[in-house]
Amino acid sequence: MPIVSRPDFLPGLPKWSRKTLFALALFGICFAFAFPVLWLILTSLRPESGVYYVHRGTEFTLASFAEVLTDDRIVSAFLNSALISTLATIFSLLVTVSSGYMLSRFTGPASRIWFGTIYVFRCIPYISWVLPLYFVTQSWGLYDTYTGLLLPHVAVHICFFSWLMKGFFDGIDPSMEYAAMIDGCTRWGAFIRVAIPSALPAISALAVLCWLFTWNEFLFALILTGNRVPMITVVMAQFVTEMGLRWNLMAATAVMALVPAFLVALFGQKYVIRGLRI
Amino acid sequence: MFGEQQRFMLFLIAPAALLMLLFQVLPIVIGANASFRDWALYNPKKIWVGFSHYYAVLSDPAFLYTVLPNTFLFMILSVAGALVAGLALALLLNRPFRGQKLVQTILLVPLMVAPVVAAIMIRWMFNDQFGIVNTVLEAIGLEGQPWLVQRWSAFGIILLTDIWLWTPWFTLLLLAGLQSLPKEPFEAAAIDGTTTWRVFRFLTLPMLRPVIVVCVVIRAIDAFRTFDIVWTLTGGGPGRSTELFSLYAYVHAFLNLDLGRGSAAAIIGGLIILVIGVVLYRLVDRIAKA
Repeated sequence: MPIVSRPDFLPGLPKWSRKTLFALALFGICFAFAFPVLWLILTSLRPESGVYYVHRGTEFTLASFAEVLTDDRIVSAFLNSALISTLATIFSLLVTVSSGYMLSRFTGPASRIWFGTIYVFRCIPYISWVLPLYFVTQSWGLYDTYTGLLLPHVAVHICFFSWLMKGFFDGIDPSMEYAAMIDGCTRWGAFIRVAIPSALPAISALAVLCWLFTWNEFLFALILTGNRVPMITVVMAQFVTEMGLRWNLMAATAVMALVPAFLVALFGQKYVIRGLRI
Repeated sequence: MFGEQQRFMLFLIAPAALLMLLFQVLPIVIGANASFRDWALYNPKKIWVGFSHYYAVLSDPAFLYTVLPNTFLFMILSVAGALVAGLALALLLNRPFRGQKLVQTILLVPLMVAPVVAAIMIRWMFNDQFGIVNTVLEAIGLEGQPWLVQRWSAFGIILLTDIWLWTPWFTLLLLAGLQSLPKEPFEAAAIDGTTTWRVFRFLTLPMLRPVIVVCVVIRAIDAFRTFDIVWTLTGGGPGRSTELFSLYAYVHAFLNLDLGRGSAAAIIGGLIILVIGVVLYRLVDRIAKA
């Protein structure tokens, strides 16, 4: 008799009904998590007159997408969001990989203090420092500029990602780095040539997460940008009030905002799942 | 002045520390300063007014009887809901079956959806005139509800959106946790003929506890500052009945243009969550050591 290491699904029922119920449960889960997105996509494909009875009728059109793409503000919001997300990912990784490495490889007061600082700042709600940051960026002339949005985004990632990165480096045996140092590598050499390459899967996972977080971020963009650097999330939220009744356009914009995130996540999925398991 | 190792450590954290100093520490100091001053955005006199903004916030019935209870209720229910659903899904998926990859990919969907987009989707589905939810309800003979203009149904929908967004996150982390548990205790329990419930209660749950606690702490702290889904779904309405703490601070600073009072609210909220955060951290530490 094989030994089951995992409890059976609904033991006591006959096998065929267990299988059916399991399949039904899986279907229910997939439905619950996919339905809102599918419904949004369906809405975006309906003509303006069909949007009020999405479940009936068979006309489908790409006109909503075409109309959205002629709106300069939306197009520039997409470009801005893509640019800021990419730059924020690059800068965040540069900053947090080294900080996570420090947390993982060194013990002692300096490391403990840095960890404590990061934990405290992770707890502080965004609004508590983004609200006054509005003034800081204005007085530095950074309000509504790329730099003024990019740097706070990089700053907000420091806490969580340093923490994740520490976990990743903790899972990597440091003896290779010691060996490299015995062979004449400097500390920096050991870090850059030995530790970073072995942490690459984790770093890729972090890159995917970072890109998604920035692309999806709302509060920073709402407070720190005006008309010159519109970001896609803010433009969409304004839509809900301004174009409240034109749900087909709303849905088309939202679907377009999903696409890049889906692509990034789809290609990065294996890194994210592998990275989370280390 | 520093040894070689100290210099290395310093250089590793210097860029991060500098950024945090400029974009987190400095704003918080400036915000603290603003919270003691008469700092209206249209007329920033910047006169020192002492604790009067704090007094105004803490004696504001909207803050005491709506915003704070909402925030805590939201934090507890959203974390509990996502944890229970996430754990149930993780247990269900923790077995080999055909189509595992597909289910896993679908579970990743909410993680990619921006909270703003999620709020738009849900808002459309629960639209009182044309939403699919009311259409279905009416088709089966029930009465459609104006979901987003009643306090508790609006609050429930905000909660639902948040749980939808975060359940997969719990599922993936707990599933990873489940799969890294040792197999031997489960085999021993199977030989002894232990019931499924007892296996869960006395084996799975205790062994999974460290993962669960870390997930809950991270999520609870994030849930406290929720802004985007509330803003997009209800804007804090109907009236101000679904306002959470972040919204309260934002509304005072940027809609009522009173930066002093907004900052005071932001700092009060920051202090509250800091206390909660430290208490939770102690808890994690104790559980990790036990």
